[in-house]
Amino acid sequence: MSNIGDEKITRRDFFSLVGWAGIAATMGGSAFSFYKYYFPNVLYESQKVFKIGKPSDYPIGLSENWKKERQVWVVRTERGLYAMISICRHLGCTPNWFSDKQVFLCPCHGSIYDLGGNVLGGPAPRLLWRAAIKIDPVDGQIVVDFNHRQDPDPVSTESGLKVDEASREVEPFFIKV
Amino acid sequence: MTYKQLTDWVTSTQIYKAIFRHGYEDTPRNRALTTFSNVLYHLHPVKTRRESIKIRYTWCMGGTSMLLFLMLAITGVLLMFYYVPDARRAYNDIKDIMNVVSFGSTFRNVHRLAAHLMVFTVWVHMTRVFLTGSYKSPREFNWIIGVVLLMLTLLLSWTGYLLPWDQLALWAITVGTKMAAAAPFLGVEGPFGAQLGIRPDNDLKFMLLGGTEVGQNALLRFYVLHCVVLPLMVVMFLAIHFWRVRKDGFSGPL
Repeated sequence: MSNIGDEKITRRDFFSLVGWAGIAATMGGSAFSFYKYYFPNVLYESQKVFKIGKPSDYPIGLSENWKKERQVWVVRTERGLYAMISICRHLGCTPNWFSDKQVFLCPCHGSIYDLGGNVLGGPAPRLLWRAAIKIDPVDGQIVVDFNHRQDPDPVSTESGLKVDEASREVEPFFIKV
Repeated sequence: MTYKQLTDWVTSTQIYKAIFRHGYEDTPRNRALTTFSNVLYHLHPVKTRRESIKIRYTWCMGGTSMLLFLMLAITGVLLMFYYVPDARRAYNDIKDIMNVVSFGSTFRNVHRLAAHLMVFTVWVHMTRVFLTGSYKSPREFNWIIGVVLLMLTLLLSWTGYLLPWDQLALWAITVGTKMAAAAPFLGVEGPFGAQLGIRPDNDLKFMLLGGTEVGQNALLRFYVLHCVVLPLMVVMFLAIHFWRVRKDGFSGPL
């Protein structure tokens, strides 16, 4: 490895180097600004944190009131309340609730879930997500954080993929009522 | 590593050789081959006289116009990612680009200023060609192509004017399209228009705007003309323009 002093750099070489450095800086700056430009700072999507009314609005059982607008089911049990996301864990379709069989069936590839989101059959590899919820201290409404999701590792049993219900009924994914 | 070693290494890589093919030796044969065998260089004449490309003579306005067109194409594509030609949101999209999109104001201002500048450089280019007599035979056909390119440049500038969808845009196009209404035979206000049964809802201006006033149809039409139709026409005429320059050779002092 020789030093710069070993070989004389001509004026032409120096300005050539400066020129290429300028081109490299321009290209680098452009690439950086292009990259930043592709990520919008303001989104016009539906809100990912939203209110769905008070716990007293929901009687025991399943509510599909927010499924179409917000992609969540609200489930009220004797112990409390949780918000389950109506996105199938197989390929992202929207399962339908069949109250006669008490199951969710996905119309795309036939995944079957029970009311708690456990997988009873079909190709779904994991349980339905539950979204983080909390009570707004001001107006007492339930606030859903759609992108903060509970996704426990399931246990494979003869009747499908299960998770102990008690382990899912924890904050912030469950509100005791 | 010295500078010589660096350039030697760059020019000896397979990538460099694959692109430029013909070594670095500065021989007449290599120079000609480099131009012959490169898709971008081949639009350029293989040999030009030193005198005829002096900046004092050419003012480099044609090349600058081409550079500005490239900048406009790149920044224009970027702007299309955030701009929707919908009368309800076009103005707000421009506001977003200017205020909340990272580097959005940079790209829009580059697009806007390069557009203004391109109109200027094309005019100066044509002025230079006129003053040096470069429009004369055998280059008279290329002058005609140049006039077409000037018209396309002005139309691009004009159609882009409507897209911000603010008061300036609306009234500029309202005024501008009045010219179409004043066209002979085809415009409602033009000579012989009324006699030929031309009405405000079937004349040239109506065809251009897709309505009797500047509205949603006009915005969409100007958007499509600005982003697709006119740029494609410019590219085609530019190819002919450059090819003719190559075939006719550079003008200039002997």
